[in-house]
Amino acid sequence: MRSPFAYTPRRGPLQSASPAAAVAYLGALVVVAFLYSSPLVLIGAGAAAVLAGLLAGARSAVRAGLRMGLSLALLIVAINALVVSRGETVLARLGEWPLLGQVDVTAEAIAAGASIGLRAAVVMVVASVYSACVDPDRVLRALRPLAGRSALTATLVSRLVPVAAADATRLRDAAQLRGPGAAAGGWSPLLRRLLAGSFDRSVDVAATLELRGYALEQPRRRRSRRPAAAAARRARSAEPRSRFDARFYAIAAAILIAAIAGKALGADDVHTYPTIHVALGPAAVALSTLLIASGLAPLRRPPARRRTLAPSALSSDMYEKGTATAGREAAALALRGPASAPLPEAPGA
Amino acid sequence: MPDLATHRATAPALAVEGLGYRYPQADRDSLLDVALEISPGELVLLAGRSASGKSTLLRAACGLVPHFHGGEISGRIEVAGIDALATGPGELASVVGYVAQDPETQVVSTTVAAEIGLPLEMRGDPPSTRARAVEEVALALAIPHLLDRTADSLSGGELQRVALAAALVTRPQLVLLDEPTSQLDPVAGDELIWLLRRLNEEWGVSILLAEHRLERCLAAADRVIAMAAGAIAFDGPPRDFLAWAQDADPALETPAARLFSLADVNPLPIGVRDARARIASMEGGVGPPPHSTCFGGAAGAVRGSDAEEVQAVRRGSDSSLRRPSLTAKGLWVELLRLDEAHDVLRGIELTVRRGERVALMGRNGAGKSTLLRAAAGLVESVGGKIDVPGGIALLTQNPSDYLVRERVGDELPGGQGQAALRLVGLEHVADSDPRDLSGGERQRLALAITLAGRTDGEALPGLVALDEPTRGMDRTRKADLVALIGDLAERGAGVVVATHDVEFAAEFAERVVLLGDGVVIADGPAAEVLSGGWYFATEVARVLDLPGVVTPEQGAVVLGGPMP
Repeated sequence: MRSPFAYTPRRGPLQSASPAAAVAYLGALVVVAFLYSSPLVLIGAGAAAVLAGLLAGARSAVRAGLRMGLSLALLIVAINALVVSRGETVLARLGEWPLLGQVDVTAEAIAAGASIGLRAAVVMVVASVYSACVDPDRVLRALRPLAGRSALTATLVSRLVPVAAADATRLRDAAQLRGPGAAAGGWSPLLRRLLAGSFDRSVDVAATLELRGYALEQPRRRRSRRPAAAAARRARSAEPRSRFDARFYAIAAAILIAAIAGKALGADDVHTYPTIHVALGPAAVALSTLLIASGLAPLRRPPARRRTLAPSALSSDMYEKGTATAGREAAALALRGPASAPLPEAPGA
Repeated sequence: MPDLATHRATAPALAVEGLGYRYPQADRDSLLDVALEISPGELVLLAGRSASGKSTLLRAACGLVPHFHGGEISGRIEVAGIDALATGPGELASVVGYVAQDPETQVVSTTVAAEIGLPLEMRGDPPSTRARAVEEVALALAIPHLLDRTADSLSGGELQRVALAAALVTRPQLVLLDEPTSQLDPVAGDELIWLLRRLNEEWGVSILLAEHRLERCLAAADRVIAMAAGAIAFDGPPRDFLAWAQDADPALETPAARLFSLADVNPLPIGVRDARARIASMEGGVGPPPHSTCFGGAAGAVRGSDAEEVQAVRRGSDSSLRRPSLTAKGLWVELLRLDEAHDVLRGIELTVRRGERVALMGRNGAGKSTLLRAAAGLVESVGGKIDVPGGIALLTQNPSDYLVRERVGDELPGGQGQAALRLVGLEHVADSDPRDLSGGERQRLALAITLAGRTDGEALPGLVALDEPTRGMDRTRKADLVALIGDLAERGAGVVVATHDVEFAAEFAERVVLLGDGVVIADGPAAEVLSGGWYFATEVARVLDLPGVVTPEQGAVVLGGPMP
């Protein structure tokens, strides 16, 4: 079965943007999550990630990311509550526990855990959206000039992981289908078999890479003394840019500037020990609102209506035939000119 | 003096002299004194039984042998004038493309466009050059709609085309294909063969194609090379190959050639059109089959009408033979594809009885495997119900998934294990490592694992199901499998085999169920279903176009030749 986090090509702005632009946008949300402890700001960043994912069509990834992120958040809250006894508001005294000693559950420890958990959940959702919307091939291609072999090794690994997952599913099915007189599948033999199968697969994939020219020397780029020639060559060898790049770079810059300004203006006036203090001032509210609005970045405007010829030149039934047909007929009419014979009627019209 | 480019243009696409090769740690040579030459623009078919050296020869021609696999090699091999022993597979990639049997392992990128463009990227071509080459090869192979898809969302046939596109994108002079149709349904398989012929004719690409199902591609080939035990046993035109195979290795005969051979008609035909033309020129042509009042009349003359066989089983005196072994009533199954639920089975109504031998056919994605998996409880239905009253033993597509230990005896311990090994004729390999067994033996071992503990009498599962068991099998191994299926049915199990192999279905099945997009679109005696269409019809049925005549033996009776 396909992973919900697997990249799915779509024609949305986030998928069409260059990897650098997409990483800048999603990375800005992660930066906010690490910079801030304010629940309002973190919720804003999380909402932005969810909104961006939904607008980009990655519903399954968002759902799976939320599920994992919130589960992780709950786990962090529980562990923090049991391990940290700081804070003045004791909610429960659980006595002496092995290894942990005296366990006092405080409201402050729970709040601190919730803050860390919320941060982890935001990062998880952002990572899910990245995984489902950013083409790994383009990312690795962008990284290749920096570390060619490492990028290709990453390609190999990224290919083998889903293949190994599919192998594991098949092995599990086969284990269920063994007859009662056969030796039980057992975890250990299955894992050994999975590992051996992965080695076999990797040999096959490595052979394919050999055939694709992986072992070839990376072509060296010639240095040119003529800047114009060098620029032309760079232009030829560069990946085409997306028209959405500027949007994502601008929104990423806006998020980061607002985050830094908000920090200076006290939007993160939060501490949990010894007592909980959360200031929900206008700066925090404004930053949170801005973050939520940034989630609209992957929104694609509906295409503008095509301008057609003046209504007097067209018969009213052309409008009823739909844009494409009307456009073609209008173009034909314009080419024929006003003095030419009228268009023949379509067969069956 | 001609320059290198001129030399490459005029040099043979492939020239091999005295080639010998042994894999590392192997105890025998895989290639023995192989010598051949393929001219530019030739389409050559590489025939031979399993383990005869076909794949090794292809791997040597693309440089994987010895550069990737190691081992000992002798002789000379040149591809388009380039010494393949001195040059690695990466450098050879500009003159030779290679497509392996399993397309899953040939894809290393996430998206199709990136995969096809990878060889050019490795070569350092700029994006503009790559984009044009990818677009052109995608158009040539009719896959531009796949360029934006991810590799894991493609069907087997689509993946095979993508692998072929990646092999062709560098405009090589020679393309090597190792059983490319073995995982494809008849429609996709035929399309791929004719696509290769078109590329060969229009682009002038030389093609060396290794295949077991020769009936699919013999008519498209200019020449046939047959290998046996690592050496070249035959090299010549297709018609001469058939004459050679008739005496030297009948397992390599095509069904149409076997039909003519049994009917004592010469020369042997290289394809359906050739056979039909030959029959049309025969005095009197071909009349209706004897006893043709119902389908299977000709079959009746040879081995009893298939329809009668079905009825015999259904009314059999042994009550256990009449009990159903699989009952599906209004079965609906949904599977997720790209975040969306799709109906894979849509209201299937099917009953298979004990002792029946049923071929489950249909194109890739028709729902064959899903039906078997639903019967085994591996997927749940969303509507209707499926019942296997006597239990089920299911052998899935990859038998190696069942082999998780290093010794056959450890997979099947004790008396019940021994009984299962005896049932499939493998009691002599109890101390072997499963990985050392041949493909056919591994399959029988996997079947024994599914049957272990329920091999006797009433304990035998009511249903034994095999999913695509003949992938990569030569005809000898298929004959062994037919015998095993017959044995299981005689013991009282209903046997259902999901397969694309129409010739195999004609050999073993008494009934064929044809699925199309999750519904049963045909269900009847094998002789009727396999003679009533074009794609899901045997070669003999396409040649004779007579109801109920699907195997060479049945056809030979119609042609009036001597009884086999």
